Amino acid sequence: MNTELKAYYGLPKEVKFCKKCVISNQRPSSTVEFKNEKGEKKKVINFNEDGICSACVYHDEKETGIDWDDRDGKLRVLLDKFRSSDGSYDVIVPGSGGKDSAFTAHILKYKYGMNPLTVTWAPHLYTDIGWKNMQEWMHTGGLDNILYTPNGILHKEMTKNAFHNLLHPFQPFIVGQRIIGPAMAKRFGVKLVMYGENQAEYGNSIEENTNPIMDMDFFSSDDALSMKFGGVSMKEYIDMGHYTKDDFAPYIAPEKQDLIDAGIEVHYLGYYLNWDPQECYYYSVENTGFQANPVRTEGTYSKYSSIDDKIDPFHYLTTLIKFGIGRCTYDAAQEVRNDKITREEASYLVDKYDTEFPDIYFKEFLEYIDSTEDEFWETIDKHRSPHIWKKVDGVWMLRHTCSSTGTDD
Amino acid sequence: MNKIRVIARIDVKNEHAIKGIHLEGLRKVGKPNKMALDYYKNGIDEIVFMDAVAAYYDRNSLSELIQNSCSDVFIPITVGGGIRTIDDIKDALKSGADKVAINTKAVQDPEFINHASKIFGSQCIVSSIEAKEIGENKWEVYTDNGREPTGLDVIEWARNVEKLGAGEIMLTSIDKEGTKKGFDVNLCQMVSNQVTIPIIASGGMGKSSDSVKLIKHANVDAIAIASVLHYKLESVQNIKSSLTENKIRVRI
Amino acid sequence: MKIAVIDYGIGNVRSMLSAFENQGAHVILTRNKEEILESDGVILPGVGAFSHGMESLNKYSLVEVIKDYIETNKPFMGICLGMQMLFDESEEFGKTVGLGLISGSVIRLPTADTKNEKLPHVSWNELNFKSSKWSGTILDGIKEGSDMYFVHSFVAKPDNVDNILSITEYSGYKFCSSVKKGNVYGCQFHPEKSGKIGLKIINNFIRMCEK
Repeated sequence: MNTELKAYYGLPKEVKFCKKCVISNQRPSSTVEFKNEKGEKKKVINFNEDGICSACVYHDEKETGIDWDDRDGKLRVLLDKFRSSDGSYDVIVPGSGGKDSAFTAHILKYKYGMNPLTVTWAPHLYTDIGWKNMQEWMHTGGLDNILYTPNGILHKEMTKNAFHNLLHPFQPFIVGQRIIGPAMAKRFGVKLVMYGENQAEYGNSIEENTNPIMDMDFFSSDDALSMKFGGVSMKEYIDMGHYTKDDFAPYIAPEKQDLIDAGIEVHYLGYYLNWDPQECYYYSVENTGFQANPVRTEGTYSKYSSIDDKIDPFHYLTTLIKFGIGRCTYDAAQEVRNDKITREEASYLVDKYDTEFPDIYFKEFLEYIDSTEDEFWETIDKHRSPHIWKKVDGVWMLRHTCSSTGTDD
Repeated sequence: MNKIRVIARIDVKNEHAIKGIHLEGLRKVGKPNKMALDYYKNGIDEIVFMDAVAAYYDRNSLSELIQNSCSDVFIPITVGGGIRTIDDIKDALKSGADKVAINTKAVQDPEFINHASKIFGSQCIVSSIEAKEIGENKWEVYTDNGREPTGLDVIEWARNVEKLGAGEIMLTSIDKEGTKKGFDVNLCQMVSNQVTIPIIASGGMGKSSDSVKLIKHANVDAIAIASVLHYKLESVQNIKSSLTENKIRVRI
Repeated sequence: MKIAVIDYGIGNVRSMLSAFENQGAHVILTRNKEEILESDGVILPGVGAFSHGMESLNKYSLVEVIKDYIETNKPFMGICLGMQMLFDESEEFGKTVGLGLISGSVIRLPTADTKNEKLPHVSWNELNFKSSKWSGTILDGIKEGSDMYFVHSFVAKPDNVDNILSITEYSGYKFCSSVKKGNVYGCQFHPEKSGKIGLKIINNFIRMCEK
C-alpha cells in the first residue's frame, strides 16, 4: 500500500471495495450542494470492520429487520393526515418521470388515493427517450405535472463553472432539484413532499433512515448571496455584471422558518415501502408508459436508469475521474444489493463498462459548457487524484479496481 | 397450411428463469427446468431457452440446464444466447439441444451461419433477429440482448440469413416484448412476405386473442411466448383452444 | 435386454438415450461392431445431409455392421435421416448411395413453392394409415391422426407400397412418414421429440426387443 500518494478532496488514501457490492470507499455521500466549495473535503460512504459498505448493511437490515406491514401502516397514517377532501393537491412528487418518480406518483394516486402534483426540475438537455417518458407519465400514467425550466443562459454558465472548478457539472442542477419540491409545496399550499428513494439506499449515514423527515439544512439558506454555484458565489455572479438577484430565484431556497411555519414535511416513500429500483422499472412500464433506453446506456450495461438528460453521462464521467467509480459501478452495486446479480458478475460488468467514454452527446456537452475539447481534457486531468490514477505509457489507468486488476493491485 | 407451433420461451440467468420488458430487467419468475416440464406436460410444442446475460459476461452456460431438461421434456429444445463458435454449437447439441439460435455472432460474421448450417444442417440453425422500430415500416437489427444497434435493416437481414442457410428465423420485437400488449403484427407480416423459411414470432403476447390476430394477418409458422405463460395469464390449453376455435390448426 | 443407439457423430443422441431410458430400457451409445450385433434392438438416429450421413457410416465401417445386424431379424429403427439412409439412394446434392435395405429412393419434398409451404418442413403433422393398420408394429395403439414432430426437406419413396406404414400430408403432397420391412422400421418424424405419443412408439419398440 502506497501511502505517499496524495489523495485529493480529503478522500481516504487507501482505496477499498465493499466485499458485498462493488462500491468503493471513495464514494461521496450527499452534501449541502449550495455550499459546495472547490477543494472541499468530502464525506464518504462508511465501511464497517468487515469491509462492508453502509448501503449493504442498510440493505441487509431492510431484508430482515423491518416489518413492512408496519411501515405500510405508518404510511397510511401519514397520508390520511394530508389527504385533501376538496380536490386540491395534497402531495408534491418531485421527479423527471423516470422509473422512480413515475412509480412514486402513480402509486400514491392510484393505490393510496392521494392527489399528487408532480413537479419536474428540467434536465439540462432532454434526451428523446426522456421527453417521451415524461409525456407518457402524464398521458398514460394519468398525472398532473409542472415542468420548471430555469434560465438557460445562467444555468449553462453555472454548469460550465461547476465543471471546471469542481469537476461536478451537476452541482447547480442539484441545487435547484433539491429545492423545487418544498418550493412548489409552499407555492401551492401543499404540506407533503414525497420523494422516492431514500438516500440511505446508497450509503448516506444510517441515522437518516430511521428518521424519515429530511434534515432541513439541505435546502434552506439564510443568506442567499453566499450560495455557491460552480464554486462561484451568487454575489460574484452579480458583481460580474451579467445577472441580478432575480435571475437566481429558481435556486434560492425557501426560508427554513417559512417552511416550518407552513407545516411542510418531506418524506421518502422508500422508507415506507420495500424499495427495489428494478421493480420500479417494471411498474412504470406497466402503468405509466415508461420505455427503457433503446440502446445500452453508455458507461453501463443497463437501459432503464437515469436516461433523460444528455449531460448525465458526464456526471458519471466525473465521478469516475474523481473517485474512480463510474456509472456501471453505481448500477451494478444497486443490483447486487437487490439480488439481481452476483458480486462476481458486477465486477465483470464494471471492468467491461465503467471506463467507457460517453461519446454520443460529447459534442453537445462541449457546446453546452462552451469549452473546447482541449479545455475539457485539461480540467479532467487536473482532477485525477494521484492515489486513484496512474499514467502508464501515456494512458491513464486505475490503480485499484473491484476485481483487483488495477495497476497497483 | 402447417399447424402453428406454440413455443415457450424461457429466458435464463444462472439458475433462474427471468422475464424482462424490452429485453431489460432481470425479474426472477421461476426455475427453468420446472417451468419447461410444466409447459411440456400441458401440451406446449417446443421450448426455447435463451441465456439472457450471455452478452454481458462473454460466456454461455446453459449446458447443464439443457441436459436436465432433456431427461424429462421430450419435445424439441432450442438454445440461444452467446453462441459464438462451432464448438459452442457442438456443445449445445451434445447437451441435448436440437437447434441453436444465433444473433450477435451472425451479425458480426455472417459467414458463421453459412459455415454452421453446412456442418450441422440448416434445420439446426435458427437465426435470432431482434427488431426495433425506427420509422414507418422500418426496423433496425439489434444485438447483445437488445442493447447495441447495428444499422442493419431487419428485412434485408432476414433475406440475407435465409441465403446464408438459416433453417428458421426467430423474430423478436424489442418494442413489444414483455409488454403483453400483442405482437408487432406489421413487423411479422413484412418479414414473412420476404422470406421462405419458417418464422417464429416472438414478443408481446398477453392474451389468446393476440395470437389469433397475428396469425390471421401474418404468415408466421410459430409463436414464442413468455410473459403470458410465466405470469400465468393464460394456460397452454386456453391458447390452443382459442386458435382452434378460430380455425387455426394446432397440435392437440 | 440391451438396445444400441449407433454413434456415428450425427444426431441428437442425448435425447434419444433419455427417451429410451425414460421408457425403462437399458440403452447404450456405441459404434462397436460386437456391441451392436449383440444388442436386442438397434436405433440409427440422424439429422442433416444424406451424403454426410453415409460418409460418416462409411468412415466408422458401420455399413456392413448394420447389414449384418439386419440379417439377424432383430428389431431395427432408423429415425429421420436414419430412415432415409435405409433406402437405395438420395437425390440430395446429386445421387448418393444409401444402405439399400429397403427398395426405393429419397427425393426432395415437392412443395407448391408458394409462400404458404416452406422448406424445411418443420412442424407437428399427422400420421395416417396407408392400407394396413398398425397393431403389432411400432405404431401399435397410436390413434390415426396423431401429431408427430417433423423437421426435414427430403422424403423417402418406397418402391413397394407394402413397406409404407404411415402417410403424412404436406403442401398438398402425401409422403411416406414411416416404413416397415419385416423388423426394420423407419420414422421420418422424431419419436424422441414427439411428447407422450412419441414415447409410446419408443415403448412399442422396446417391447418388440424384449420378445
